[in-house]
Amino acid sequence: MSALDIRGLILIDTAQAGLPFALAPLALLDVAGMSPLERVAERLQRQGVSALTVVSEESSASRRYRPLPQGIVCRSAARGRFWRVAESAFNDLAHNGADLVLVIRLGAYAEVHFDELVQFHLEGQRRVSQVVWCAEPLEIFCLTASRRNDAASLFRSRLAHCRCECELFAHSGYFNPLAGPRDLRQFAIDVLTLQAETGPAGTEIRPGVWVASGASIEKGSRILAPAFIGASSQVRCGAVITRCTSIEHHAHVDCGTVVENSTVLPYSYVGAGLDVAHSVLGMGHIANLRRGISVEVPDKKLLGQVSPAWRRELLRVAGRLPGRIWQSIFGDVPAPQPPLQEVARQPSPEEDAMGRPAPALGVSPRDAKVAGELASDLAVARRYGNQ
Amino acid sequence: METSSRPVVVKRMPERLNARAVRELLRDVEPFLSIDRPQLVFDLSEVQQLDAAGVEMLLRCMSEAHKRDGDLKLASLSEQAAVVLELTRTERLFEIYETSVDAVRSFSGFLPNAMRQQLLHKRPRTPAAA
Repeated sequence: MSALDIRGLILIDTAQAGLPFALAPLALLDVAGMSPLERVAERLQRQGVSALTVVSEESSASRRYRPLPQGIVCRSAARGRFWRVAESAFNDLAHNGADLVLVIRLGAYAEVHFDELVQFHLEGQRRVSQVVWCAEPLEIFCLTASRRNDAASLFRSRLAHCRCECELFAHSGYFNPLAGPRDLRQFAIDVLTLQAETGPAGTEIRPGVWVASGASIEKGSRILAPAFIGASSQVRCGAVITRCTSIEHHAHVDCGTVVENSTVLPYSYVGAGLDVAHSVLGMGHIANLRRGISVEVPDKKLLGQVSPAWRRELLRVAGRLPGRIWQSIFGDVPAPQPPLQEVARQPSPEEDAMGRPAPALGVSPRDAKVAGELASDLAVARRYGNQ
Repeated sequence: METSSRPVVVKRMPERLNARAVRELLRDVEPFLSIDRPQLVFDLSEVQQLDAAGVEMLLRCMSEAHKRDGDLKLASLSEQAAVVLELTRTERLFEIYETSVDAVRSFSGFLPNAMRQQLLHKRPRTPAAA
């Protein structure tokens, strides 16, 4: 396999089914810390596919939460030109010396053994091989790079058919169609229960509990395995996270809320004292899987969005700006406050350092200052004041 | 609608049950809540948006009704309303019925036996019953 130059071409278009409320397609939404795109890319790189190109529609490309891992070339395409750009990307890969190109359209997530697929393709001296799962053809192909016309016919038919016969490679491993919120939830369950080969992107702090970097879990909250707490997310006190729940990065679960068998999407806020069960929620919406509906919850106290840290800082600075301008124009600047330690050192004219009226002790306030020279002295003076 | 000696008030909730709508709604409902043993049914079939203020209003009305020995029941919950009530853990506090008619009937169903006997005696006799 090392002698061959095998490259990957991953396609993400918005024609694929997604959440009714999420702006990004499911392939770009995080599941237990990583999106299906990142998982596929990681899998390809692990199995020796050296260079990867991702072609995504402009609308979805701008809605990635994180930049793609290194070594991945990203090309965005306008909605009407998606398949032309995909074909052009294939031609570029072939031109740059690729022997084989693995074409994967996300949506569906399948843990294909790409080395076996390449072996199958080479052994039969095939032009185009397609992966099938339980007799259902998947949009995963292995193409001989020199066969540009075969590739062109495939891309022009939007991967529906090829001018030559596609040989079928049976895949028996993990597969998830990722066609809606129910599949997204199932994928999270499969990742957390280790049904899939791919795992949660975090540190396993206790058996079945994965926590990513920067997550804050307050005292008094309970995390019951299996569960995932994403990077920089916050679980407030009294919250209960249970039954394969996945709290994605920068999400915020407020006090006393119970989240059961649910996915909280990145940058989502879940209000205090709520009961979230069998749902996928985020962006002010909740997809209830038991009822099979998606509902908008416009109340920010219940479900909301957490703005990124830089935006919060910008808002904070912008909020202070009018006051600063006012002060600079009208000069109503408050006098600078002396440091707290100096304030503590200054005795009251009526009281000594121990807080007792100085004249009552027969000591002048000037002498009392010596006793209260340091903050530690003050503490000592208070503790042993009677002696 | 009247089922027993006392009327049951059925109120259809608006499409948006938010803070603004709640104020108007409370004004409308207040006279019915201030009577002795009020019997109310809120029809939530048209509710498309329900927020925390709306849920609070429902709880407040129920509490007021209970204070006066009455009851508030919910009927024909839209999916949106059902999801928000479930989310806020309040669905278990209310008696919820499929239809307004079922909710209205339920008020007579919980009458004490003595009162039910009284009602039966009051009803005019039909020829078949005679």
